[in-house]
Amino acid sequence: MERIDRLVRTWIASEQEQEIEDTVSEIAQGNATLLHIVKSLGDFLTSEEDDLRTKGVEFLSLVLSRCPHEKLNRQSVRTLVTFYCGKLEDTETIIPALKGLNTLSKLPLFASSDAVEVANALFQHVKMRVLVHSQRFVVYSIIDNLVAHHREAMKNMGDEFLRGYIGLAEGEKDPRNLMMAFAIDKVLLIEFDSAKYIEDFFGITFCYFPITFRPPPNDPYGITTEDLRSALRSCLHATSLFGKLAVPLFLEKLNAGSPATKKDTLDTLDVCLPVYGAGVAREFARKLWNALKLEIFQPTDPVTEEKALKTFQVLIQTIYAASPEDKGTENEIVGLAKDACDECMEILREPEKSQAKHAIKVLCAFMSTTPSVSRYTLARAVPHFVKLFLNPDELPNRAPTLRLLADLIEAARQSMSQDPEVLPDDGNVPLLPYKDEVLGILTVGLKMPASAYPAIDALKSMVLTPGLLTHEELGFIVHNVDEVLQKDEEESDLSDVSLDLLSTISSFAPSHVSGNTLPMLFTALPDRAPPRDAEAERVKYWRTLAALRKLCTQPDLFETLVVRFSTKLDLICVPSSPIAEGEDREPSAAYAHSILKTLADVLSIKIEKGHTDVVKYVDRLVPRLYNLFIYSALASEERPMVAPDPRLLAVAAQIITLVTQSLNASRQETFVKAVFAAYLEGDVSHLVDGVQKIPADKTFRPFEPSAPTSQRNLLVLLSAAVVPLYKEVTLPVPDETKFLDNLLQWIPVHAENAPQREALIHLIAAVVNRHADKLDDFLTSNVHVFWLSHIADSSVSSDSRKNAIVVFKWITKALLVRGYVDATKNVDRLLELFDDECVSWDAARAIGRIPGTDKVLTKRNHAVIKILYAQKYTNSVLPRIIEGAKTSQSSRQNAYLVALAALIKSVPKSTYADQMPSLMPLLLRGLELPDNEIRAGVIETLQAAATSDDKENNIVTEHAASLVSTMLKNSLVSQMPSVKVRVAALRYLATLPSVVRYDVLHPQKATVIRELAKALDDPKRAVRREAVTARTNWFKFTG
Amino acid sequence: MSAEVFNPNPTIFAPSKAKKTAHAYARANSIWLEDGERTDEDEADQSDEPEAIGQDEIFELIRSISDPEHRSMTLEQLAVVSAPQITFDPKYPDRITVEFTPTVPHCGMSTFIGLSIRVRLLRSLPQRFKVDIRVKPGSHQSEHALNKQLNDKERVAAALENPALLDVLEQCLSTADGTAYEE
Repeated sequence: MERIDRLVRTWIASEQEQEIEDTVSEIAQGNATLLHIVKSLGDFLTSEEDDLRTKGVEFLSLVLSRCPHEKLNRQSVRTLVTFYCGKLEDTETIIPALKGLNTLSKLPLFASSDAVEVANALFQHVKMRVLVHSQRFVVYSIIDNLVAHHREAMKNMGDEFLRGYIGLAEGEKDPRNLMMAFAIDKVLLIEFDSAKYIEDFFGITFCYFPITFRPPPNDPYGITTEDLRSALRSCLHATSLFGKLAVPLFLEKLNAGSPATKKDTLDTLDVCLPVYGAGVAREFARKLWNALKLEIFQPTDPVTEEKALKTFQVLIQTIYAASPEDKGTENEIVGLAKDACDECMEILREPEKSQAKHAIKVLCAFMSTTPSVSRYTLARAVPHFVKLFLNPDELPNRAPTLRLLADLIEAARQSMSQDPEVLPDDGNVPLLPYKDEVLGILTVGLKMPASAYPAIDALKSMVLTPGLLTHEELGFIVHNVDEVLQKDEEESDLSDVSLDLLSTISSFAPSHVSGNTLPMLFTALPDRAPPRDAEAERVKYWRTLAALRKLCTQPDLFETLVVRFSTKLDLICVPSSPIAEGEDREPSAAYAHSILKTLADVLSIKIEKGHTDVVKYVDRLVPRLYNLFIYSALASEERPMVAPDPRLLAVAAQIITLVTQSLNASRQETFVKAVFAAYLEGDVSHLVDGVQKIPADKTFRPFEPSAPTSQRNLLVLLSAAVVPLYKEVTLPVPDETKFLDNLLQWIPVHAENAPQREALIHLIAAVVNRHADKLDDFLTSNVHVFWLSHIADSSVSSDSRKNAIVVFKWITKALLVRGYVDATKNVDRLLELFDDECVSWDAARAIGRIPGTDKVLTKRNHAVIKILYAQKYTNSVLPRIIEGAKTSQSSRQNAYLVALAALIKSVPKSTYADQMPSLMPLLLRGLELPDNEIRAGVIETLQAAATSDDKENNIVTEHAASLVSTMLKNSLVSQMPSVKVRVAALRYLATLPSVVRYDVLHPQKATVIRELAKALDDPKRAVRREAVTARTNWFKFTG
Repeated sequence: MSAEVFNPNPTIFAPSKAKKTAHAYARANSIWLEDGERTDEDEADQSDEPEAIGQDEIFELIRSISDPEHRSMTLEQLAVVSAPQITFDPKYPDRITVEFTPTVPHCGMSTFIGLSIRVRLLRSLPQRFKVDIRVKPGSHQSEHALNKQLNDKERVAAALENPALLDVLEQCLSTADGTAYEE
């Protein structure tokens, strides 16, 4: 007891935290009770001195707020409530008393009778105007607690409570308090009998609309504009009683507000109108429509227009949803929907005018309102468009008419259930009554070039409308679109959209396309390639192939495509009459190439889409390809053949890789066994299948030193089968190390051309990537020997060394990608070559390109890939390159710059972003290198750095002057022959004004504009285009 | 700008599609199909053939300028400008005449449209070109005054000194780059 006395006295004198805590712990330990504290405080609580009274109550409230709840009993709560309520009368103690009440009102022991007492006391004594915002917050908290925990008691207080609260809440301005007040308002409006005070509630809520609050910087409460907006909005649509008061206010804001206010008002109307109900909506329908019409027909911006349409939809829904749903009421639609429809129909009599576009948007909005309104709209609009279309006087306006109709059909489609499982019953397809006449005019529209585009769009919407068209009608559409395809002689987008429609149809009804369109297209393909000078025929078969490529992704159609194309390939590559010596074989090869390319393209689209039927083509397509190419290679030893062309082989390899990718590991294993049997042992029997029989007297031995070029070229198809193998698949060779070493030795000695070399390099890289853990010997000793004898040895020809560097690069890459720790050791070796003038740039490029992405070691090909390998590589190599570039001299330094340029081009920007400040001067020096490829790469890197984010823009700013002058030099044809570099430099110049402050670039402006005038006269169109953009940006660039 | 609306509901025309000269993936002068390995720019690097500035290229420059009265629409959509209305002087290849057609004969915006075409071409064509801008004969009630004003260097320069005018002009020109680079 004395201790409490002492604590109280000390606190009154010092106001330290410590005493409060000590007191609370005394109570917690049971050494004292609240009663003791009140007693100790006795004198202070009733002191004549204002200051002491305040402190006395403050102390009590502070202790109370931290005191464990179980130390309070009902009696003490009761006493404290009465005590605090009494203290509210005293202006000196009101603030600490409110704090105390706030603590008490949360307690479970706080009874409803206390709640009523507190509420009355608050209403009687608290004058909000004299309190600061944090104190008002306490008042709102108390009321919030009362409403939350003692709602019934508050309801029983009736008018007294509502009147009292409104009195308190009036004139509040603090955002944190408003958040609280809005939450209370909402409860009162929904649960309390607020009808009598609706105007007062309107006053204390709508006066805040629209919210224009901007949070101050470093706002400790973190309340955003959006928080306030949605809290207020939840009050505004809390009761339908607001309706008549609110709508005029909304109308006023719509007519006079800023764009932001308009958007807020429209959003708010969307949630309010359904609550306010049909009666209010009907009452203000005309005025609302007039206000919305303005936003729709003379839109200030697309967002507001969109929102206005949405609100209009809500308005119509609100008005008409209430009326009982029965069919056959089309003619009985009265009121706003009819009036608005009338107005729009009036405008739509001139479909070619700009207002028609807005009018159709209104009608489209109708489609997703209520079934009766949408039926009514279609009944008015569709016959109108049909009539307009068929009117001979309106012939020139057919295209815009169909465009409007297409929009409406699409809207009708979107208004239906999007769930494909739910099939609508007959009455629920809104367009059904008009489909015959609409199909009629659409097929007529198809025949004219101008109206064909909207006709196809409309047909597509119809095709996609569930339950609208029958099987026969789809056939009818396919038939008509086929005609369009056939007639479209000049190369136009019309073919593209027609094909798009056909492939849409084929995705669910392939029979029409396979029975109708495909035969037409296949017939159009000649059996023999048109001669070299027959440009028109060649373009024709290209177009046919492009059409097939677009259509044949669907499994059934693709199967047909494979069968027809395999036959066609045989006809072209092995014609019945043998090719004469000296005959031009290239057109045939090009034709076969186009066909293979089409197959490859369709396959990759199918894989992209996840089609599972790709797997079966390892039996149906791949053996025929191997057959054709092995047969042709063997036969070409005696007579000229078409197929052994490296370009054809490249595409065939692509197809084989795509199919092999899709196999599972065990199927891959059998497949690769057959492939190896053919390539290593000459046993082709398990690999090939086809019309041409492989001659028995010839042997297929591409690895033999004596093998002819045509056989060696086929190594591409070996590599194609190995590159996409899973790591679980073991190669069917006795010793992988020996196999790889043989290849490594074979490349520099026997490889005759780039495709052969690349094929084996990719093969080695793929195997190393999958099985590096089993290949330690190969990676240490064999590769080491290879390095010494083919790269490090300067007596070897430089071409041969350069090729060997590429091999080395790929092995390193394969290791790096799988996260092999020693991969960067290989970089040290490459750095040794920087002093060797013959190969230093090649070594430098190799260092840069090691982490780059490629088409071989990919996820699709099931390569072993560790994440962030490029990041790790850059972290270890980039600092060394920077260091080297800074410290070394002349040619060695240039090699470092080359490595740098190659590296930043091949890794993601994030890997070097933090190094940008030290990179910038080096990159600028890289722009002086006499290599256009490097320059273009560097400029593109700078471009990416400048546009990505604002952090590095300080660096750009710092170097702005030298960047401008370097880029100008690289952008003029007189100084830079490469188009690519000129384009890149001009693009960079075009970007500068948007990333650098005006005052920095101001001194350059006149020069840039003058110099760019020269670039406007560039001989190349692509460059001029960039020059125009760049110069325009600089003209607009002002302080 | 005056608040008067000269043509509240103009007719819209479909923009002409840029004609493709060859198949999308066929290369010029080759019988082989594009295999996707090479890009246009590599291609461009290889040929030195100069490509002269032609009617279409100039049309590309002005087709997407916004109409001052209907900002959401381009001059092309309202058929104010078209490619055939751009002509080269047969004797002097550097002399160009650009003709435009106001949507209504009393259109008060015609001077402004002419000015925006003038400024766009000043900024985007090499200085060797001399550009004459005229309204289509018979399409405007004060045709002569208009033509005179648009081809008077001093008056064009004076107009560009007016900051309010320049501001609207920049807004109309800001769309000019838009579609020209889509292909």
